[in-house]
Amino acid sequence: MRTNYRINSGVRFHMFSQDQLEELFLGVLHVLEYTGLDVHHEESRDILEKSGAWVDGLRVRLPSYMVKRALEMAPRSFTLFARDGNPKHDIHIGPGRAHFGPGPTCPNFIDVETLERRPYVKSDVPIVAKVVDALPNIDFCESLGTVSDVHPDLGALYEFAGMFPNTSKPIVAWSYDEYDSAAIHKIAVAEAGGQDAFEKCPNYVHYCEPLSPLVSTKEALDKLVFAARHRVPLVFTPCPIAGGTAPVTAAGMIIQGTAESWMGLTIAQTIQPGLPFIMGGVFSVMDMSSMILAYGAPELSLMMAGVTELAHYAGLPLWQTGGCTDSKTFDAQAMIEGSLSCFFSALTGGDLCHDVGYTESAMTGSVFQLAAMDEAIAYSRRITRGIEVNEDTLAVDVIHNVGPNGHYLKQQHTRRYYKTEFWYPNLHDRRNYEEWADMGKMTMKDRTIARVHDILATHQPSPIKPETEKVIQEVLEAAEDRVKQEA
Amino acid sequence: MSRIYERLSTCVIEGDSEKAPRLVQNALDQGEAPKDVLDNGLVVGMGEVGARFKRGDMFVPEVLMSADAMQAGLEVLRPLLTATGVEMVGKIVLGTVKGDLHDIGKNLVGMMCEGAGFEVINLGFNVDPEKFIEAIKEQQPNIVGMSALLTTTMRAMWHTIRAIEEAGLREQVKIMVGGAPVDAAFAERIGADGYGSNAPAAVDLAKQLVGAA
Repeated sequence: MRTNYRINSGVRFHMFSQDQLEELFLGVLHVLEYTGLDVHHEESRDILEKSGAWVDGLRVRLPSYMVKRALEMAPRSFTLFARDGNPKHDIHIGPGRAHFGPGPTCPNFIDVETLERRPYVKSDVPIVAKVVDALPNIDFCESLGTVSDVHPDLGALYEFAGMFPNTSKPIVAWSYDEYDSAAIHKIAVAEAGGQDAFEKCPNYVHYCEPLSPLVSTKEALDKLVFAARHRVPLVFTPCPIAGGTAPVTAAGMIIQGTAESWMGLTIAQTIQPGLPFIMGGVFSVMDMSSMILAYGAPELSLMMAGVTELAHYAGLPLWQTGGCTDSKTFDAQAMIEGSLSCFFSALTGGDLCHDVGYTESAMTGSVFQLAAMDEAIAYSRRITRGIEVNEDTLAVDVIHNVGPNGHYLKQQHTRRYYKTEFWYPNLHDRRNYEEWADMGKMTMKDRTIARVHDILATHQPSPIKPETEKVIQEVLEAAEDRVKQEA
Repeated sequence: MSRIYERLSTCVIEGDSEKAPRLVQNALDQGEAPKDVLDNGLVVGMGEVGARFKRGDMFVPEVLMSADAMQAGLEVLRPLLTATGVEMVGKIVLGTVKGDLHDIGKNLVGMMCEGAGFEVINLGFNVDPEKFIEAIKEQQPNIVGMSALLTTTMRAMWHTIRAIEEAGLREQVKIMVGGAPVDAAFAERIGADGYGSNAPAAVDLAKQLVGAA
């Protein structure tokens, strides 16, 4: 065997040259050093000032060595753990690994029975979590909605309380404020078996958002500081809108959004060196007619690819975006936009790709979009796995043995490889016409709906510990009491 | 005198902020009444901008330039309108709700409402419920407009409406809401009087709410 012959050459996509990446990287450092961000959080300003930042009122500017130090402290590779110890549900974040999951906070939901759009309610949360738990290519859980039928301050907490028992896949939890963060953490820690055990095997990720352009809000930093102190892995994800809240050019947008995320990185690493930190976010264009942030735009995939490369260049994992659409329904547009962004995201190896299952530009969550994208992700993963080239796969001897006019069906070589070389669809149809017609001429949409209904009827997620059940009840009661007292 | 009005409305449509004040001054110099210059020049121009935007013939950056041109013209007219005690279409207090620091959409609504002849008091962004209440007491507006861009800050609209109710002021104002994550169902759920899906729609709604549509 030749030296250096066996390499894993998965299909990957690269857009920027090293020179371009360096220019982008230095652009981010320049913005943080010369422009800075408004940081609406006194404690964070103090923390940053003590470690070398220049603070002037709300404005915080970071000398580049601080940012570089923070980048050095943040790990590129770490594991998010399944709450039940199921290794198949662990997520190993590291180079070349793309993972997928839904997004948070859509106001509406496609009802799983009526298929109509309506406000997202509490009883939708377990449905989403169960579907996530069952779909083999969905790796982490978010709720796909903001619960509308509880007290408006408690939506995030009810989401986590509804997701946690219904999937053992790691959850990415967003919250309104530090009260939510503390309550969510209590639940997760109860299941993990204490703070120490949680720190060794974190079972959820905390999600916060800075504000574009160049603002760190009080709420976001309250949450970030809480997560850092309790060593909860952190997603810090801006949502800049090109031409609206960020430069119209993709390169400028990447620089600004990254600067927003790295202010959070620097605060987090100063508080908790080595905290797993996943850089954000959602980078897309403002549709200049409808003023919406376009979730199905080609620029989204392009900019996300750019920001993924920059994150990896800087040694950070990225919170990718894909599987989402501007379409209002399960149609061809939804499939084109969702599938292409999943595929592109997989090509970049962006570490956690979220918003799978978003429709109507993030206004409506859909488990049907999610289930269809599970298929698109599986398809993409087969491609990014690439072609293995070695003596055995080259099959020169097999070709020789079969020779002209033979067939390969009975070859041991075929039996050895046909299950791993080929991808087997779950939802896509490859039957001949007669069979397809006999089976009711079902469309992709019909099959997706049937699959979701089947999951909901049969899938049993592994249960949480009885003591965690109790903690969830206590936490919800305490939160209800708090909002009652505030009123 | 329709020629000067035509030039003025065209100037608004083209978004020429330098020319607008000059044309307004020309009209006034020719003896036109300030209210007529507003209604027949600036408002007509912005009305056309709104219509073109709705049709997809104009894009947001162009609309903003037009709104700026209208504002520049209005600067010249405003003292005269105040001095002569001209009735405006209505008065709107506008703000982005607490916790939300987004300004663009709400400002666009404000400018387009001014373009439609409303007096607009812009409270800015991250506006506490108390500040809305104070402004209602002081300014006595017909309409309170609230905006939020984030799904996380939408609920502050609910908080603000509750606070206005508790202050006993809900009956004296109409409340309209807007922003990317907001829709008509949400507006209804939180007890608002209406929802505008974009800036021109907000203008139409404001007109309806004061009975001027």
